Amino acid sequence: MTVNAAKPAKKKIHWFRRDWRLYVMLILPVAFYLIFCYKPMAGIMLAFQKYNPVVGMWGSKFIGMKNFEDVMKLADFKPALVNTLWLNLLGLIAGFPVPIVLAIMLNELKAIKFKKVSQTLLYLPHFLSWIIIGGMVLQIFAPRTGVINALLMKWGWIDKSIPFLTDGPHWQGTYTFIGVWQSMGWGTILYLSAITGINMELFEAAKIDGANKMQQIWHVTLPGIRSTIAVLLILNIGQMMNISFDRPFILKNAQVRDYCDVLSTFVYRIGIEKAQYARATAIGLFQSLVGLVLISSANFTIKRLGEEGIW
Amino acid sequence: MKKTLAIILALVLTLGLASSALADDSWPTLRVEVFDRDTPGLKVAEGWQAKYAQENFGDPNQINIEFVGYARWGGEEGLIAADLAAHIAPDICITYNNNKIVDQYIEFDGLWKLNDLLEGAPNLKAFLTEEGDDLLQVGQRDGVQWFLNARRISRANVGIFIREDWLKELGMEKPTNIEQLTAYLEAAQEKKLGGDNTVAFPFGIYESDPMFNVRRITDAFVDFAQVSEEDWYAYSKTPEMLPGAKEGFRWLNKLYNEGIISESFALQNNDAANDTAMVMGYNGFFTGQPDQPWRTDKNYEIELEKNVPGGHWISCSPFVNESLGKALRDIYTPAGLLIFVPKDSDEEHAKMAFKYLDWLATPENLFAMQNGTEGINYEKLNEDGIPVGVKAAADVPDENKIHAGDIAFISNGLYYGSAEKNAAALSLPFTGYEEDVKAAYLDSMTDTWTQIGWSVPIQAVTDYEGTVRGAEAKFIADVVSCDPAEFDTVYDAGIEDIKSAGATEIIDELRANFQAGNATGTFPGNK
Repeated sequence: MTVNAAKPAKKKIHWFRRDWRLYVMLILPVAFYLIFCYKPMAGIMLAFQKYNPVVGMWGSKFIGMKNFEDVMKLADFKPALVNTLWLNLLGLIAGFPVPIVLAIMLNELKAIKFKKVSQTLLYLPHFLSWIIIGGMVLQIFAPRTGVINALLMKWGWIDKSIPFLTDGPHWQGTYTFIGVWQSMGWGTILYLSAITGINMELFEAAKIDGANKMQQIWHVTLPGIRSTIAVLLILNIGQMMNISFDRPFILKNAQVRDYCDVLSTFVYRIGIEKAQYARATAIGLFQSLVGLVLISSANFTIKRLGEEGIW
Repeated sequence: MKKTLAIILALVLTLGLASSALADDSWPTLRVEVFDRDTPGLKVAEGWQAKYAQENFGDPNQINIEFVGYARWGGEEGLIAADLAAHIAPDICITYNNNKIVDQYIEFDGLWKLNDLLEGAPNLKAFLTEEGDDLLQVGQRDGVQWFLNARRISRANVGIFIREDWLKELGMEKPTNIEQLTAYLEAAQEKKLGGDNTVAFPFGIYESDPMFNVRRITDAFVDFAQVSEEDWYAYSKTPEMLPGAKEGFRWLNKLYNEGIISESFALQNNDAANDTAMVMGYNGFFTGQPDQPWRTDKNYEIELEKNVPGGHWISCSPFVNESLGKALRDIYTPAGLLIFVPKDSDEEHAKMAFKYLDWLATPENLFAMQNGTEGINYEKLNEDGIPVGVKAAADVPDENKIHAGDIAFISNGLYYGSAEKNAAALSLPFTGYEEDVKAAYLDSMTDTWTQIGWSVPIQAVTDYEGTVRGAEAKFIADVVSCDPAEFDTVYDAGIEDIKSAGATEIIDELRANFQAGNATGTFPGNK
């Protein structure tokens, strides 16, 4: 009995002693999150202040919701909000399934060399800066002088330029297409690793039962990566209110302003360019709150459907 | 042989001594903002000018001078605003931006009041008040000197250029009105004088201030019989709403539909592409800076001649306003960039800052900081003491590269001691093209009006300028590119859009401030 009573205490010490290196390793990431993710949260105060840059946020005057009211009454706010959601939705619809399909296709490739080359080529666009992609887009899609329009016109297939960049809905299509092209390869990584994790015996069993390739994919591969798909879907939906800055900023132009102005470029124009940091913070906070609602409801729905969810 | 060796050794020794005298750790450091204009090979923080300032100001006064470079092409205002907010801004800050940053700091008492400091800097004060007290008044609020403005040596702002070789080819004279210009553009485009890629009129949208370039054109169509002085000021931020300006847009729309303005003009915020078209000889007409074809960094004229034998840009003045009978051009106010000292710098540093500015204002130092070294940056001085044979940055060794413009930032433009010399000097750097440049300056200073400024912060501008600028860019893109039959509808819808983006509020507040006497600038019409 005495031996048993001493055991739990001993075990506790043992547990820390055994893993202390891991905990030491944890110090850096925890510090990172505290310093760069939690400490700056104090800056949210700015959204409710008349910002005084001389004394900073700790000395500025509290003005309640005025910054939110000021921003939301600006004529550009609503279109920017709608465009953000719409472009993200387009991106999700067009872009979400592509990496899944690609991953399955890559997985089925038998020639190792060809598979590796294809993978590298697919990843490549992810590493290009948007500045460079912006230049390429102009060369390829510009009216009259762009490669596509110039070729089609030369062949006599069209007599008026296709306004890839200069007509609103066309622009949104181009924007979505370029986004899918840029990120599809990179997106396959998680799915590929999930596919590798599927028990090979399941495939063998399916084969013995007479399943052909398509049936194997449908009944084994896809169910095998279902939870990965669910998690990524939740995360994507949580990002619906956030839109990166560089992609819309680089690709936008004056002619399609009503279709391309999004929250990030809006914040840049009225907040950063005008040194109105309090307003920029207000929009940021608004985006985060909506994002929280979206991600929570997506998580709830997915859990209801019997998947694991992310919390 | 021995002698040469001795001289070389002596030189090496003195040079070595000079550089070792730099920077003593026990000295206080004065941090000075300078613009980095991306001149290849020039590191502004350790360039020739930084060394000159250290040796001639820093060392004798036992101060370390540190030049802090801020990218001029990439939102200089945002960078300095961020550093100010983080309390790490340089002791001497500069910006071209009037009301965004400085007014915020004036409101919260975050800048040094410069009245006493300026009294202690006699050279600086003499330099800034040489042409009167106006320049200092720009930086004053109720008698407090919050900031200083650089002197603007050349106030010319608008240059308009046409291809002389194309005119000859078409058998045309230099256009003196819009009708003749239109005929020239139409003929040049039709005959594809620049080859298959001809875009007779390279027109683009400068998104952060879309009307900046466009009003040079549309002002020619304004009916000044219908514009009061008050209107002129009230619409100064939205000149597309001046009576008659609509016809200017109709003219642009006509050019677009005739293929003279490129189909992708709204995508052209890419300067590099425009420069290429310009030097490849695709273009026949453009508006820009008064010395644009000859600027030392990218010389359109010389590059064009290489690609198109006989290619030649000359100045012209076709945008004649019929209601006034003259071709209007705007000029800068006499006040250049803003100079201020943030409160984060202690009194010792504020005093050092003014000691530096005063040093900079003495003629020999200003001359050196703006012109560099004889025999390296320029060939020699002429009888007026003005450098001739000025080298392009690419032809100067890296360690001698300078940026003449805004590193000696108390003077926007090269200063040689008198208005006459300054004017004469404008054309001298452009060897071989002196007459062309002189003619361009003369044109840009004829029938001018001074850009409008406000001596108080305008709240509506802070609140709405961002959205109004966006609406303007869209408006210009739409009215220029629409079907001529729909022009009126598109125009009206666009103006409504600009108004609801906040232009109404801006116009009202500017009107009230004009009535309150807070405006500077000139009204070109008849009062």
